[in-house]
Amino acid sequence: MPPPDVFDALADPHRRALIGFLAAHETATAGELAQQLPVTRQAAAKHLETLHAAGLVERRRAGREVRYQLTPAPLADVSEWISKVGAEWDDRLDSLRRYLER
Amino acid sequence: MEPQVRREVVFAETPEEVWRALTEPARLEEWFANDVELTPERGGCGVFRWDDGSVRVAAVEEVEPARRFVFRWHEEGRDHEATRVELVLDEAPAGTRLTVVETAPAGLRASALAGEWSWGVELLAALPRIHRLARAAA
Repeated sequence: MPPPDVFDALADPHRRALIGFLAAHETATAGELAQQLPVTRQAAAKHLETLHAAGLVERRRAGREVRYQLTPAPLADVSEWISKVGAEWDDRLDSLRRYLER
Repeated sequence: MEPQVRREVVFAETPEEVWRALTEPARLEEWFANDVELTPERGGCGVFRWDDGSVRVAAVEEVEPARRFVFRWHEEGRDHEATRVELVLDEAPAGTRLTVVETAPAGLRASALAGEWSWGVELLAALPRIHRLARAAA
């Protein structure tokens, strides 16, 4: 069960936009992320801090830059369920096809 | 959008043939489970048993022959909550399209993102990659 601040962190559309951008780009700097939002750089930094505090993103130093990336832990239960159930249906549908074609 | 697994496959057979494979116990025993009891009607029950001892129990919710089959099921002793499965058949140019949608249990939805799923499709698609990235960095 993720901590309650995960819910708060994800309740805001700007923060969800940051998550969406990180999901598509793997890593980004605070500046790149701020450009995604129609808000000031300071406001963007605050959103990023909220996501960080909720354990949804982490910071890594890469040379002189600090890059942000998503951490999967708060979403691990959904991710696991989707991979497990998806693999089960792939197997079942393969068996069904073999049965129908024989 | 709720977290769900969705698959679409096309079979050369008619919707009636695919329907029978999905709902007749003797046919299900040929491809799905080792022992099958199923009453494919609204309110009917299903019990699927495998030789390794696992058992799945289903409750049928909706039936439109050769068109739509909806049930809830869970694995005995393992899943705490049933999930909803919707099987839909429709005609495709080369035969019959089967669409499977299994929806995550409500507990999982609540624990994940409190229903905020309209934004999540892209994120879910990216999760396996994020996992790999996190493992590589660890």
